[in-house]
Amino acid sequence: MPQTSPKESSYREIRSLKDYRRLMKSYYLIAKNPRWFGKKVAWITSGGAVEPLYAMGVLPFYPENYGAMCGASRTSVSLCETAEAQGYSRDLCSYARCDIGSSLSGKGPLGVLPKPDFLVCGNNICGTVIKWYEIQARAFQVPLFFLDTPFIHNELEAHTVTYVRKQMEEYIAFLEKTVKGPFSEKRFLKVSARSLEAVRLWKEVLELSRHRPAPFAAFDAFIHMAPIVTLRGTRWAVWYYRKLKKELEARVKNKEGAFAREELRLIWDNIPIWYDIRNLSKMLFRHGAVLVADTYTSAWTLKPVDLGNPLESLSRSYASVHLNLGLEHKVTKMVSLMEDYQADGFIMHSNRSCKTYSLNQYDLKKKVSERTGKPGLIIEADHTDSRSYAAAQVEKQIETFVEMAKKR
Amino acid sequence: MSSKTAFSNLISELGEIASWSYAETASHLPPERPAVGYFCPYVPEELIQAGRAIPIRLMDTPIKISHAQAHLPAYCCHLVKSALENYLRGDLDFLQGIIFSQSCDSMKGLADIWALKGRLSFQFNLMVPTRLDSPLARDYFKIELEGLKKTLEERFGEISRQSLQEANRLFNQIRKQLGGVYARMRQDPLRLSGTDLAQIVQAGYRLDRERYLDSLNRLLELWPDHPEGKSPDVPLFLTGNMAHSAGWFSLIEEAGGRIVQDDLCSGGRTLRLMVKEDQDPLEALVDRYFNTYFCPTKYQGPLAHQETLFKEVRESGAKGVIFLFFKFCEPYYFDYPDLKKFLEAQGLPTLLLEIEDPSQAREQLKLRIQAFVEMLS
Repeated sequence: MPQTSPKESSYREIRSLKDYRRLMKSYYLIAKNPRWFGKKVAWITSGGAVEPLYAMGVLPFYPENYGAMCGASRTSVSLCETAEAQGYSRDLCSYARCDIGSSLSGKGPLGVLPKPDFLVCGNNICGTVIKWYEIQARAFQVPLFFLDTPFIHNELEAHTVTYVRKQMEEYIAFLEKTVKGPFSEKRFLKVSARSLEAVRLWKEVLELSRHRPAPFAAFDAFIHMAPIVTLRGTRWAVWYYRKLKKELEARVKNKEGAFAREELRLIWDNIPIWYDIRNLSKMLFRHGAVLVADTYTSAWTLKPVDLGNPLESLSRSYASVHLNLGLEHKVTKMVSLMEDYQADGFIMHSNRSCKTYSLNQYDLKKKVSERTGKPGLIIEADHTDSRSYAAAQVEKQIETFVEMAKKR
Repeated sequence: MSSKTAFSNLISELGEIASWSYAETASHLPPERPAVGYFCPYVPEELIQAGRAIPIRLMDTPIKISHAQAHLPAYCCHLVKSALENYLRGDLDFLQGIIFSQSCDSMKGLADIWALKGRLSFQFNLMVPTRLDSPLARDYFKIELEGLKKTLEERFGEISRQSLQEANRLFNQIRKQLGGVYARMRQDPLRLSGTDLAQIVQAGYRLDRERYLDSLNRLLELWPDHPEGKSPDVPLFLTGNMAHSAGWFSLIEEAGGRIVQDDLCSGGRTLRLMVKEDQDPLEALVDRYFNTYFCPTKYQGPLAHQETLFKEVRESGAKGVIFLFFKFCEPYYFDYPDLKKFLEAQGLPTLLLEIEDPSQAREQLKLRIQAFVEMLS
């Protein structure tokens, strides 16, 4: 995580970070002790429909966020090894291995994880989560609701929307049965409105970096994305992003960038290399390069919820998240980011743990470079398992790339 | 020619067909019928057949990966890599089209690269729902299959109810007879090796299916009535993904194992895909995927894989289970630890073999299988 240290990087720390920390600490306090607050806990995938959960008063816990936390705190390798000792292959997603390792050992940055009352899995981000959640359903012997969102190679078709919407109705019936309480339309609308507002604010926050200099680097976004994932649908997410946006608007007004020096603007593709964010950030800064946007955090700028028909629009929204879209859509998105953020190039993380994100990156790189005339670089790593990362080699690749991009 | 010689000749003939390159496969196809490729049994071969085309199943091939490296990262399975290599080299240009089905993340990615390259005249991405425990998914899948039918009709002409019924019957017959071959092999193991069986299975994906059914019928007719004797080898169950190269079977047999049944998705598992013949043929095709557990890429409840596998292992009389997985195959590797634990708790020892290219070094794998077989002896 970038820290204030003018000497080493002239990075401008986000003042709202204190509020962010307080907010997330409070969330994890409740997540760790749900019974104190009379809450049931549902483990849910990062692209899962969280609004019905908040509407039912259930606390969502995100194993993927937890995986990121393990990566950032550099505790993931030992947790992965615990899972591997049980027979889980090292080639499997390291978020899943962290979660399984942590569930088995009771170790990790949060200690013993909150036991789920039930699980909610959406495959709009990958097929990995289906298997991962099946494992946890067997381990904890709790119900699992699976929301199936067929992959969109070309267009989102009407029968796909119908399929997802009907499953949303099933989801609500599942919640009523599992939580043993009625689903309140009024409450759901309120939560959906907050979700809509938080998503809008998050989008606006990210778009502020279209300005030069960018007030908010992708490395900041990797940190400050937690509330849009975890607290989407609560007033806390709205409160926090309003505050953050205000701070960043002031930066724009004063022409203050996230970093004092911004000679090269780059786009990042894929999940961050959580255990090396700080190092990469510093290294890029040394070369005057700033990551101004990324495809990962912008994945939570979901399509706006239509409050006149929230279930239908949530269905459309969750069915068409970035990772559930085919190569042509990904090319379009990267090209838009390159153009909208006036980027000079892009870095793609070929992530061993995420085939959905990484499998087509060679063609994606080629297409984006063809359409924008800008260079791209692919680096190999894993989002949390540092054993699959050759730091010195990646640094050398980035240095060479940045120097080359500057000369163009 | 004695029936015993005819039996041996037929096995050799099917073995030769299994070893055909794609070019040889193309040269043996009836010229008036277009060939359509597919990977996964979630693509109903029956629809392709009913459209007067020949379904050609694309499997892993022992091929050096060079062109595909420019498109795929190292961490995807050999099936995906070798299929793309074959495609980019032009080996599959004899196909009129390709039908992908939604299965794992790597196949989704492969489908997009395939479309980008556009070497074949058509590609259909069949969105098989991932959740196969719900009537909602059934309704969705039916619309998808209707879409596939329409696409095939636009290419190859109308698919009548009768032609689909006939195709369903043909493939049911193939499954029935193939099931018969598995059963005879268990009763008379010295007559047909697992290696032969693997080749018989593979040949079925390269041939006009009417000719293939004829071969299976003849094989069962020619099979001598009296068993040749008992096999001293250890009976094993082989489970895994689409890895039906005869080399893996022969490796297990050379190490003293005898495969009595497999549930590879290219082999024994397809026997679960029988179609009801007394209902609307398209509805029947839809239903069969919801009536049985088939693949770990799909969700049919957290215990579906375990229960189905255990039942088939028990029925086979195997003394142990070999997991044969392509490296980097997430759906199988995620299921593996719980399956292993469960089977071993039931007194069934297991061995995991991780494979890549079928031409890879075999000796190390053979030693591990030998040690496993000795433990079971």
